[in-house]
Amino acid sequence: MTAIVHNVSPGLWRLAWRRLRADRVAMASLAVVAAFLLMLVLSASGLIVADWEQEVGVNYAPPGFVGAAQPPPAEPAQAAPTQPMQAAPAQAVPPQPMQATQALPDNPFDPLADDIRALRAQLAAGGAGAIDMYGVTDPLAGDLAQLRGARGDTSAAHAGAGRLATLPFGADKWGHDIIKKTIKGGETSIVVGLVAALLAVSLGSLFGALSGYFGGVVDDLFNWFYSIFTAIPSVLMILAVAAVLQQKGVATIVLILGLTGWTGPYRLIRAEYIKHKAREYVLAADAIGASHWRKMFTHIFPNVSHVALVQMSILVVGFIKAEVILSFLGFGVPVGVVSWGSMLNEAQNELILGRWWQLTAAAVAMALLVTAFSLFTDALRDALDPKVK
Amino acid sequence: MMSDTPLLDIADLRIAFRADRHTTVEAVKGVSFQVPRNATVALVGESGSGKSVSSLAVMGLLPPDATVIDPASRIRFDGRDLLALSAAERRALCGKDIAMIFQEPMSSLNPVFTVGAQIVEVLRLHMGMSAAQARRRALELLDEVGIPDPAVKIDAYPSQMSGGQQQRVMIAMAIACEPKLLIADEPTTALDVTIQKQIMELIARLQKRHAMAVLFITHDLGLVAEIADHVIVMRHGEVREAGPAQQVFGQPQDGYTKALLHCRPSLDARPWHLPVIADYLADVEHQRFAGGDIAEGQGVTPLHPLERQRGYGPDDQPLLVVNKLSKTFHLREGWFGKREFQAVKDVSFTLARGKTLGVVGESGSGKTTVGLTLLRLHQASGGSAMFDGRDLLAMTPREFQAYKRRIQIIFQNPYASLNPRFTVGQILLEPMRIHRIGADDRERTAIAHELLEKVGLPAAAFQRYPHEFSGGQRQRIAIARCLTMKPEILVCDESVSALDVSVQAQVLNLLQDLQDEFGLSYIFISHDLSVVKYIADQVMVMHRGEVVELADSDQLYRNPTHPYTRALLAAIPRHG
Amino acid sequence: MIAYVVRRLWQMLPTMLGVVLLVFVLFNWVGGDPAFILAGKMANAESIANIRRQLGVDQPYYVQLWIFVKQIASFDFGLSWATGEPVSHIIATRLGPSLTVLLPLTLLETLLGIALALAVAFVRGSLTDRAVMIACTVGMSVSILVYIIVFQYGLAYKLGLFPVQGWGESFWENLLRYATLPVLIGLAVSIAPTLRLYRSFVLDEVGQDYVRTARAKGLGERRVMWVHVLRNAAIPIITHVMANLPALLIGAFLLERFFGIPGIGREVILAVERSDFPVIKAITVYVAAATMVFNLLTDLMYQAVDPRVQLT
Repeated sequence: MTAIVHNVSPGLWRLAWRRLRADRVAMASLAVVAAFLLMLVLSASGLIVADWEQEVGVNYAPPGFVGAAQPPPAEPAQAAPTQPMQAAPAQAVPPQPMQATQALPDNPFDPLADDIRALRAQLAAGGAGAIDMYGVTDPLAGDLAQLRGARGDTSAAHAGAGRLATLPFGADKWGHDIIKKTIKGGETSIVVGLVAALLAVSLGSLFGALSGYFGGVVDDLFNWFYSIFTAIPSVLMILAVAAVLQQKGVATIVLILGLTGWTGPYRLIRAEYIKHKAREYVLAADAIGASHWRKMFTHIFPNVSHVALVQMSILVVGFIKAEVILSFLGFGVPVGVVSWGSMLNEAQNELILGRWWQLTAAAVAMALLVTAFSLFTDALRDALDPKVK
Repeated sequence: MMSDTPLLDIADLRIAFRADRHTTVEAVKGVSFQVPRNATVALVGESGSGKSVSSLAVMGLLPPDATVIDPASRIRFDGRDLLALSAAERRALCGKDIAMIFQEPMSSLNPVFTVGAQIVEVLRLHMGMSAAQARRRALELLDEVGIPDPAVKIDAYPSQMSGGQQQRVMIAMAIACEPKLLIADEPTTALDVTIQKQIMELIARLQKRHAMAVLFITHDLGLVAEIADHVIVMRHGEVREAGPAQQVFGQPQDGYTKALLHCRPSLDARPWHLPVIADYLADVEHQRFAGGDIAEGQGVTPLHPLERQRGYGPDDQPLLVVNKLSKTFHLREGWFGKREFQAVKDVSFTLARGKTLGVVGESGSGKTTVGLTLLRLHQASGGSAMFDGRDLLAMTPREFQAYKRRIQIIFQNPYASLNPRFTVGQILLEPMRIHRIGADDRERTAIAHELLEKVGLPAAAFQRYPHEFSGGQRQRIAIARCLTMKPEILVCDESVSALDVSVQAQVLNLLQDLQDEFGLSYIFISHDLSVVKYIADQVMVMHRGEVVELADSDQLYRNPTHPYTRALLAAIPRHG
Repeated sequence: MIAYVVRRLWQMLPTMLGVVLLVFVLFNWVGGDPAFILAGKMANAESIANIRRQLGVDQPYYVQLWIFVKQIASFDFGLSWATGEPVSHIIATRLGPSLTVLLPLTLLETLLGIALALAVAFVRGSLTDRAVMIACTVGMSVSILVYIIVFQYGLAYKLGLFPVQGWGESFWENLLRYATLPVLIGLAVSIAPTLRLYRSFVLDEVGQDYVRTARAKGLGERRVMWVHVLRNAAIPIITHVMANLPALLIGAFLLERFFGIPGIGREVILAVERSDFPVIKAITVYVAAATMVFNLLTDLMYQAVDPRVQLT
């Protein structure tokens, strides 16, 4: 019999941590996720991007590296080095002179084209003032600026003429800074993902534990719920509930996702409980006199918690993606709240105008977080339950 | 002469496994042995000895990226070095000149193809037969290995056959191309004793008829006594002893071989303590057992001169009287019908205080169900179990809670009976907390440490997790767990069956010491007749849920009355 | 076997009832008063009361429930609140376009997934394997919205290789002209998760004992993978495909919306946008029924494909 030599006895979690530490990809993903979470905390507490709603740039201001009045854009693809699919549109979009005064391209079949051109020349010669997205000067701009000044509104954004021609990653239709929007949107999407996942896993685990452990009528009841919820595809379920709940809001989405997403964890945790209940260490616990609750939570749950954790991780990813789609369709966050989904919604129309920065920002930020989270989830699963290759 | 060169010649085989990026584990550390033509060679070793790894290396079945074979190693088959061949050349040999059968026939056969298709596959690949020819040959083979009704069974799926039949199919597949060498890796370990005997006889018969060499790998030295011409003993990746069977069994040179031969309880003698491996080997650390008189140190220890007497005497007080115990399982079938399965039928016995009742039977005999029912882990369908004036089976669960302390169980699988997330300390404290033994955790911890010492584990084990211990050590922890409650009856459900022979002896000795010291009564359930004879005072033989014979231990083994008992005893392999 | 089918159908009833109840509770109770939605801006008490009477929502709940059940049984859900088209007609006509995209997509995705999974399993554990898996993860992390927007913009709008939107009259025109880009995009989006899943199925099989036996018999690696492993891995693959088919009907909703394909998914989105409850209720109930039937078919097929399974 050999003596036992090491000093600290590794339990499951310490062993898993050791394995994770050795995995470079896992640590890199963890770092990225941590960075996003930090951003989330800062954003939610108002320490950064509290002023995202300010319209600091001109409408559709291009990114700084593209330049306000420069011909072909430098390397828009540099902004997204890990996104191979961005290369296609970057080449497909022909370089256009990005001027703040870029108007819609002339429609050659417009019978009024000549008249409009003349009018523009007149107005442009006539005076400065605010120029909106159609390249037409606003005749009341001067008066408006005066009024605002009289009211004491010193915000540079409202001065009209004080708007920036370019922003670090461009501006959207109203001149919001894209970077700030991306961060704020991330806060929304990530919070929804995290809270909804927590809700779904908690419900699913509780139901699964009760169902798997007690079996019988309890199992039948929960299985009935499970079969109902899984008979309806989750997309349909979510859309149906979204149709019915008239008030929109972050809380609503969280509830929708959480209350429809419990089925995955339920099935897995229930299977785990059934499996463990038949294991000898549970029979042994029975033999030494442990009560049902003691067996369920003190004895079995520590053997099952890693499954719940991995499930939660998977659901966070799924729910972030779902929230984006919901917000895109307009069933998600209300109008005043920004989310990556709402950004993509706006970006849809902007692309035809040649403005790709909102699309890129939202797509890249989301892809980065979801990739990192997914890679980390895989590594976590392997660390907690390593299989021989 | 051609027949003098060995068929298989392994020289200085060194194999290491890459556990992860930084660590390699040496599994085989310079092993050399030979298999002559037309002979049966037994390769014997316990778990971790490297015996299976060596044979998998011959077949080229080790995972290529995780395995490191030393370039100086040689595996010569019929003169050619297998390690130097290309993958294609090696494949041409496997299944044709060298064939292998494995331990678990159910999982070793492809579940989605018929038995016939799998045999035909190897025939068509190596012998180039047409489909019709191959099918005819497959029928012949199935008949040769003793499959009843081969014309029907050839189109059956593996899941439709019993374990013994599946193994026969594996054998048929292996000998289909008339191999020169058949490697059998623990082919009977997963089978019942009576089936085991049949398969062993089949292999011996085929060996003679086809004049092939057989490399028989096993952990049970006694098993191969009847069929082996040569024996090779391995331990920890090295060869400890090799030679003709007669010599190895008769005059073993190596300490480990001696230990393997003697640690197994024999049917003829019943020493006070079973010899343990440390008695024969100088390099193994020793543990002092309660009440034992085994000295620490080197060399062979003189055993207690007296043999143990077993049997029920007139002074024995009955502790547990079981009468007509029954358990029926209900399964659903058909439209709304139910099928009944009687696992246990009218079992009656008496357990005396301080004595051991052995329960013997093969799989499906119901012996385990008896134990589980007495602990009310299964609900009994009928019968009574009188203990201390009360019927254990008739009590309400609440009433039974108080009795749980007094009757405990040790399970078979040491790897599953301890909660992997609890430290040993938590495992030991748990029953005390539930039954409120000891005033507080400090007192309980003290009790736990006492018990750890009693079962021969170091005090540092308290903070460790079960996965850091070997199988034998885990059984000790399980025993300690039971002892926290000071039970009167201990049900040992195949408690030593999953352990290596040398470790088995230690645990049996421990159980015996505890019985001597505390007057515990055991119900010892096992399929291993030698072990039961050693430890039990009275033996109950079960077959298909019923008791077929119940007698004092010596009496039963000397004069078995029931034909089933006789068949069981006849199937025990004896030393040559 | 018949006994099994009958028993399963019998067991489906409580679930179907549950679905009906859930839909009913959602739409008739939680959903609020539809009369206000439908009355529009110019609502007065009389018009609202009229609408209520028409829709039958002025009845007590148990009567409404009974009406709902009758509707399901007779396949007649009345008219769409938004367009006035009979709901059953809506469903019947939208099924075709959905399937025109769905079936080729499923077929291609499955075949491609199997081939790639086997190829990757060949080189399991190697750098290629790891790189492919990470590429899959990255691919899955990009929102399907981005795929659709970018591909639609790039391939259809800018390069003009495919029509940007639309649907035609004839089946072949639809299949070859309008469905191609949606199917391609659907393939691009689904190939990564499919590959990951099938790869895990295949790897589970590769670690089994019978593979060791096959190699011990001297079979080449190719035969081991394509005959022994594939045949076993096909079981979870087929069950996965079959069980997911009904969900795919709805799942293609984004593709349908972007490309203007008049399918069931798009119909659901429109109905949600317009609070068109009868349409949503009908589709939900029928898709749920289809899912349950497909689950039963999957289990029956399971028995045909896996000899170990005995359904009792």
